Amino acid sequence: MPGEKNFFQTFGEAFVKGDIFTKVSLLVWGLGYIGHGQLMKALLVTLVEGLGLYFLAFYGAPNLAKFGTLGTVKMEMVFDVTTMKNVVNNYDNSFEILLMSMISFVVIAALIAAAMMVVTSNYQLQKIRAAGKKTNNFLQDINVYLNEKFYVTLLTLPVLGVVVFTIVPLFILIAVAFTNYDQQHMPPNALFTWVGLTNFFTLFGGGGMTSTFGYSFAKVLTWTLVWAFFATFTTFFGGILLAMFINDNKTKCPKFWRTLFMVTIAVPQFVTLLLVRNFFSNNGIFNTMMANAGVTDFLHNIGLLDKGLSYIPFLTQPGWAMFTIIMINIWIGVPYQMLISTGVLMNIPADMIEAARIDGANPVQMFFRIKLPYLLSVQGPSLVTDFVRNVNNFNVIYLLTQDVFVTNNQQLAQSNAKEIDLLVTWLFRLTQEYYNYKMAAVLGIMVFIVCAVFTVVCFHFINKKEATFS
Amino acid sequence: MSTTTINDAAVQKQLKQGRVKKTIFSIIRHLILALLAFIWLVPIAWLLLTSFSTDKGINFTRFVPEGFTLWNYISIMTAPDSVAQFPRWFMNTLVVACFNCVISTCFVLMVAYAISCCRFKGRRLLQNLSVTVNLFPGVLAMIAVYFVLKYMNLTNSYAGLIMVYAGSSGLGYLICKGFFDTVPVSLREAAKLDGASEARIFFQIVIPMSRPILVYTIINSFLIPWTDFVMAKMILNSGISTDWTVAIGLYNMLQKALINSYFSRFCAGGVLVAIPISILFVIMQKFYVEGITSGAAKG
Repeated sequence: MPGEKNFFQTFGEAFVKGDIFTKVSLLVWGLGYIGHGQLMKALLVTLVEGLGLYFLAFYGAPNLAKFGTLGTVKMEMVFDVTTMKNVVNNYDNSFEILLMSMISFVVIAALIAAAMMVVTSNYQLQKIRAAGKKTNNFLQDINVYLNEKFYVTLLTLPVLGVVVFTIVPLFILIAVAFTNYDQQHMPPNALFTWVGLTNFFTLFGGGGMTSTFGYSFAKVLTWTLVWAFFATFTTFFGGILLAMFINDNKTKCPKFWRTLFMVTIAVPQFVTLLLVRNFFSNNGIFNTMMANAGVTDFLHNIGLLDKGLSYIPFLTQPGWAMFTIIMINIWIGVPYQMLISTGVLMNIPADMIEAARIDGANPVQMFFRIKLPYLLSVQGPSLVTDFVRNVNNFNVIYLLTQDVFVTNNQQLAQSNAKEIDLLVTWLFRLTQEYYNYKMAAVLGIMVFIVCAVFTVVCFHFINKKEATFS
Repeated sequence: MSTTTINDAAVQKQLKQGRVKKTIFSIIRHLILALLAFIWLVPIAWLLLTSFSTDKGINFTRFVPEGFTLWNYISIMTAPDSVAQFPRWFMNTLVVACFNCVISTCFVLMVAYAISCCRFKGRRLLQNLSVTVNLFPGVLAMIAVYFVLKYMNLTNSYAGLIMVYAGSSGLGYLICKGFFDTVPVSLREAAKLDGASEARIFFQIVIPMSRPILVYTIINSFLIPWTDFVMAKMILNSGISTDWTVAIGLYNMLQKALINSYFSRFCAGGVLVAIPISILFVIMQKFYVEGITSGAAKG
């Protein structure tokens, strides 16, 4: 945008060209507004500034001072001579220091940005007064927030929510990746501190002979990508095929068939997943049926199944479990995709299909030349987000395999991973069962990198293709 | 004359063959569909059958139970014990769902409208940021959120759970934004010329025109607490069964020590939760497709 000034440039100009009130308002927000005749606004902004500074002085500063070390005083029992009792000393809580420091950083950034905005707005007022016009009174100001600046009114609360419940926690977890926060260093009883990139070295194979994180990471990452690929594409194409099959005018009562498949969506996922897990358990009903039907024996004979096993280990042996999980995911995902594809397919312009038919296209050509490209152009972006969602698909893996799948691989077990773990389930187990927050945080960052790289590459590709299309 | 009749007969024969071929194909087509539908419905049938079973635990040998009874339903609804507190769970989840529904819907609509209909500096930046934040695994932020809530003494409280569900719901604005994009700009401009404020346009023009997406957003946010498992398990971790939501409660019934006496009741509970959800889903279904497709097409 040539000619348009960015936020900092406007601020710079306002500060340089502003009068004394405008300049002073950088430090005490209210003064500028008082000088420019807006008392109510002056009161409000000063109150906000006061609250921010109060927080920084009494909560922020003490913790920020310890941010470099994350605390030095360990929790101890000391004998208090005045009360003749053992009491806890005034110890440092590393996590509290980290948390409050992160919040302080956000508050400081917000205060600085707000101060700059106050100066800019004061400069505007100054200009209005210099031109001899009247500035807005308070009611008019409020009205602006229902009109030109309505977006501010709309966005304030949701953005605040996202900052508090997503962004600040993410900052904290990213910071934890550079500390030694684990079971041996759990506040409040112990302190943790900065360790630089050590955890990242551990993940990539360092950390001495006993550490197997490098090995596990490679295995889990591979399976995560394989899983995400299959989970995304099997359900995508399965859904499309099913939708086309049902919507074909040779199929009678398409609505009836669609409803049958949608029954599976109506039951909550955790119920179906837990149910299916028992359905496929080692001595479960499906194994009984397989044994009765002779499938188990057949698998014995062709060597797909160990002779020692009297059952098919659907969810208890790595290879079988991976297969079963992908199959179950197809079962869960295809109805959703069918629903969406049905909608998209109905939107294909009728004349396009008609033209193709007149030109003598057969159904196969019709699918590959018209329907699939159309579906991909509409659903391409959501295919990318689906892939990312599958990388993070916690529910399916956790509910199907938690408490059921036990790994026999010593190296994986040593770093608390399993063959069928996704990065996120591994991360979850590390925090919930082993309190290994530092490695979990590193894994989280890795998940982000995988997803971000994938998304950027895909969208780059999609945009390029769209450009050539039109 | 005679040649035409022969021809006719041949054509007739061909037509008949074609028809037979067509019927066979049609039968095969429907058989395949029936087989697929069967596969998709087997677990659901098992759920239903087991929920009426006279066996309390899992029957490993029979798909269809030996005897049928309503006892599982009656027991789970009227006779709570230390493990199964279904009525309480149901109420807990309902309360959380209602609050989440109101807050989330407001947030989503607000963000969607601001991004779709208002033009301001930093709009693109905000959009890009939301996409980036969405790339972090939800589980990761959750762990830190847990610590923040613990620090504020909000774990094991519904307030905490609602805050977690609704707090960052503004990020899920994309589908709704796609819908708002389809509301004609001329309409808003006409209203503006007539002197309507931006707020009035939002409440009196855009919202009433967006009923499908409104219903979709409301039902979607209402369903989250019913189907979510991880967040609830993390935050309501006191181990007191009356505090739980339906999802954790039912999950707990399937512990190794409990599964043999509670599996049928788990199924009954599953069916009971599925009923309101399926009703809502049937209502939402049409809007679901509309929302997703229009949102995706517009990006």
